[in-house]
Amino acid sequence: MNVRTFAARFDWVSFLSAVALTGIGAAALASAGEARGTAFMASRWKSMLATAAVGFVLYFAIAFSDYRRLLDRFAIPAYVLSIVSLVAVLVVGSVQFGGRRWLWFFQPSEVAKLCTLAFLAHVFGSWRAEGFRGFKAFLAACAAMGLPVVLILLEPDLGTALVLIPAAVAMLLVTGVWRKGIVALLAAAAVAASALLGAVCEAERPGVAPERREAIRRFIPLRDHQIARVKTFLFPETDALGAGYNLRQARMAIGSGGAGGKGWKRGEAVRRGLLPPMGAMTDFIFCAWAEETGFLKGSLPLLALFAALCISTARVALAAADLRGRMLATGVATLVFAHVYVNLGMSLGLVPVTGLPLPFVSLGRTFLATVLCALGLAQSVSLHREEYGE
Amino acid sequence: MKGGAPFSAYAAFWVSSAVFLAGFATLGVRLHEEQIVNAAAHARRMASQSHRTVQTSGLRGRILDRRGEPLADNRLSLCVAVDAAAFRGPGDVEERLAAAAAAVARAVGRPPDVPEAAVRRHLRLELPRLLILWRGLSEDELARFEENSFRFPGFECVTEAERIYPQGATAAHLAGRVGRDRKPVQSGDSRPDYIDREPCGREGLELQYDEYLRGVPGEERLLVDARGFSAGRETVAPARPGPDLVLTVDLALQRAAEAQLAGLCGACAAIDPRNGAVRVLASAPSYNPGECVPVLSEATYRRLAEDPGKPLLARAVAGTYAPGSTFKLVTALAGLSAGHAASETRFCDGAWELGGMKIKCARIWGHGELDLPHALCESCNPYFCGLGVAAGIGELARTARILGLGSRTGIDFPADAAGLVPDAAWKESRRGAPWRTGDLAQMSIGQGMLLATPLQMARLAAAVGSGRIATPRLNAALPPDVRPLPFSAGQLEAVRLGMRLVVDGGTGRRGGEGVEARVIGKTGTAQVGSGATRRKNAWFVAYATPTAASRTQEPLAVALIVEDGESGGTTAAPRVAEILKAFYNRGHAAAQPQSPAPAPAQAGGGAA
Repeated sequence: MNVRTFAARFDWVSFLSAVALTGIGAAALASAGEARGTAFMASRWKSMLATAAVGFVLYFAIAFSDYRRLLDRFAIPAYVLSIVSLVAVLVVGSVQFGGRRWLWFFQPSEVAKLCTLAFLAHVFGSWRAEGFRGFKAFLAACAAMGLPVVLILLEPDLGTALVLIPAAVAMLLVTGVWRKGIVALLAAAAVAASALLGAVCEAERPGVAPERREAIRRFIPLRDHQIARVKTFLFPETDALGAGYNLRQARMAIGSGGAGGKGWKRGEAVRRGLLPPMGAMTDFIFCAWAEETGFLKGSLPLLALFAALCISTARVALAAADLRGRMLATGVATLVFAHVYVNLGMSLGLVPVTGLPLPFVSLGRTFLATVLCALGLAQSVSLHREEYGE
Repeated sequence: MKGGAPFSAYAAFWVSSAVFLAGFATLGVRLHEEQIVNAAAHARRMASQSHRTVQTSGLRGRILDRRGEPLADNRLSLCVAVDAAAFRGPGDVEERLAAAAAAVARAVGRPPDVPEAAVRRHLRLELPRLLILWRGLSEDELARFEENSFRFPGFECVTEAERIYPQGATAAHLAGRVGRDRKPVQSGDSRPDYIDREPCGREGLELQYDEYLRGVPGEERLLVDARGFSAGRETVAPARPGPDLVLTVDLALQRAAEAQLAGLCGACAAIDPRNGAVRVLASAPSYNPGECVPVLSEATYRRLAEDPGKPLLARAVAGTYAPGSTFKLVTALAGLSAGHAASETRFCDGAWELGGMKIKCARIWGHGELDLPHALCESCNPYFCGLGVAAGIGELARTARILGLGSRTGIDFPADAAGLVPDAAWKESRRGAPWRTGDLAQMSIGQGMLLATPLQMARLAAAVGSGRIATPRLNAALPPDVRPLPFSAGQLEAVRLGMRLVVDGGTGRRGGEGVEARVIGKTGTAQVGSGATRRKNAWFVAYATPTAASRTQEPLAVALIVEDGESGGTTAAPRVAEILKAFYNRGHAAAQPQSPAPAPAQAGGGAA
């Protein structure tokens, strides 16, 4: 591949967006970490930059390798390994913040997302599976996707499980596996979600008799803290000091940033501990960023960069050499989008609060490395396209 | 998959892009809503959640005597305070704070002044504020704290203004005292979250001029974090000190008066007859207001309240006594007003009798023929009984009231007893008995139901001596309120002549001894109680005018009473003479301030 071919095929938009977002992430973490007051937290941004450096090395290593060879060689063992590590984490993992998510230095659930997507692409995108599109294929796909989802749900890490599903579904839609079934399933999921919301709404609505509340709750297949989160989502004003507190503070932090922000390292929400201390560097870091930089200088550029990243990555599907490439590009783009949407959406009251990191910005080295590897894979699809006239 | 991108590739791209765009657009719209449309509301909410305003109190103004010597002053007390924010974190803040406080207590050498309950209350209600744990640290204690302070994060040395009374028991009733403010006084329209407790006047001038002395409140803004701990503070408006109150009181003279009353129960009042400026307001026994600030403990209060000498009573203004023979000045003026001439004589045979009643004269064999000045000189009871009965109760009561008896003097002081001038209507309504001539005779010589305060008697002496009656005042800035008396110069002169005779060789001859001024006066020996509790209260009222040899050119009217004394002439008059010497004689020890004025604590600016 000569330089000109590289320059023409390289997805510059997604790469530069990723670089810019890494910079934003370091800036946001530097500010939020400094507010924590400990040298360890204040230096987290450096460790994130170091991880990003390693991540970009991996990114280019993957991008310059042919994704087809990578999938052939690694997709199945990586999937198996990720399942094994997901099981292992349930057995010997260390507990942090109410979930058993850590295996030594990394979170298997983050890596499992990429491995599952790669596995799905490898299995359903290869020429050998060209005729495999019926109900059985659908069941197989559900099993391949469902196994890690269930294991992640057991940790429990609802957010990570939830973002894996749209990415996987998007990939399956690209392959054409039993589209009608998938659409029907999506519709059913939508109905079920509405029913669930409706049930929670009916049970938790202010002024409902306790007996009735108990009776309805028995039919809701959610844990108490999850019901509380949905309730907070539905009625944010009912519990301003309890479950709704973080949400209220998050929205206040974002809103008080205004158009121009309060200035980098001048955010009050983190400095005065209005946001939960750890959340301010992980799931709620966007609030800190939005407060400090404001709508015009911070939130909108961040949104634009993510939009450019996602759409540019999705565009790779157009030029991809094969179905696997299209699946990978679509899956990776959807995964990033789902993360961004859920993460920002929960702070803005669009989705219930679920712990989910914001790519590039939230503290979390496993996730940052995973996202960069995933984008590297999409970049590989872009670089290894097949075009006429070459 | 050759031959251009298949349909599914386009679909994948366009559908996913459309979904992404829709998603980002939703986020963008919500962000716009929060950060642009609702930004002000959010900012307001954050501010209200994150700021606490404190109304800080300014330094209380000082109370100074006419020469600037302080009766009440402020001193900076060294304190150790703690900011609970240093102990934030998971778990029990109170426990950690208590452990740290125990360590500080070991360094300082004494336990905190604040009980545990108060610490708990502070953590619950005033978390972001500094909590003062030790007050009034000595230099040694402070040094021990400072050299270990690196071990005590969160603790710091602060200063706190403390009200002090540098004169001790001198003029204690006059200055009064402050207590902790019970009800915080809010200034302005804004409602502060916390109001600094500032001292509040409880008695004496501290109470009378409480509003005036108070500093101008300032405002401080505390930044608080999510858990209510302080995260910084800024001064919005600094508190300013209150103005000083300058008195008409002469502390040197006050000291001289209190020295004369030392060990006795009694009181002394002295005023400038020209304008009512009070120079002395001494009551004995006194107490030390220093042990009543910042709070009057129950034990101290009980000790003071149960003391048989009643040290809390400001006798000079709140003590009411039968005026005794000093009241004969009133009877004399009433008689003159009723048309009796000063030269008209009456015969004294040693007693005045009416029916079964007999009022003896001091000279049991009688004075013989007496005119008014000589009757005053000898303090002849039968003369004044006769004169008072001849003048009638109406005239006598009216004259007494004109001379300021029976009503409050109007002094700018919380305690201002009215005393009592009885008349027929009063006796009928209060005692249910008709007014008898015997009552009038008793009243004519200052006995019976008549009651007056030493201040009223000083004012009376001033009125008779100067011919004008003034409202007594303590605040030098108050305009004088002086009215002429409705007596002719001749009438007044006759009474003054009598008063001069009193001092020149009469009953009060010791009242002017050695004084470098012309002194006229009247003694009084009031009988109180009967049987075993029968005592005599010794009075002397004097009016002094300066001579060329006097140190000062101010006239002075003095009234002095000693409870359970011997007689006005022997107990009260010499004491008044000493007081007058302190005022008029050159080179008298009491003329100079006894102690150098202590350095005021960065105290108040403008004079009153």
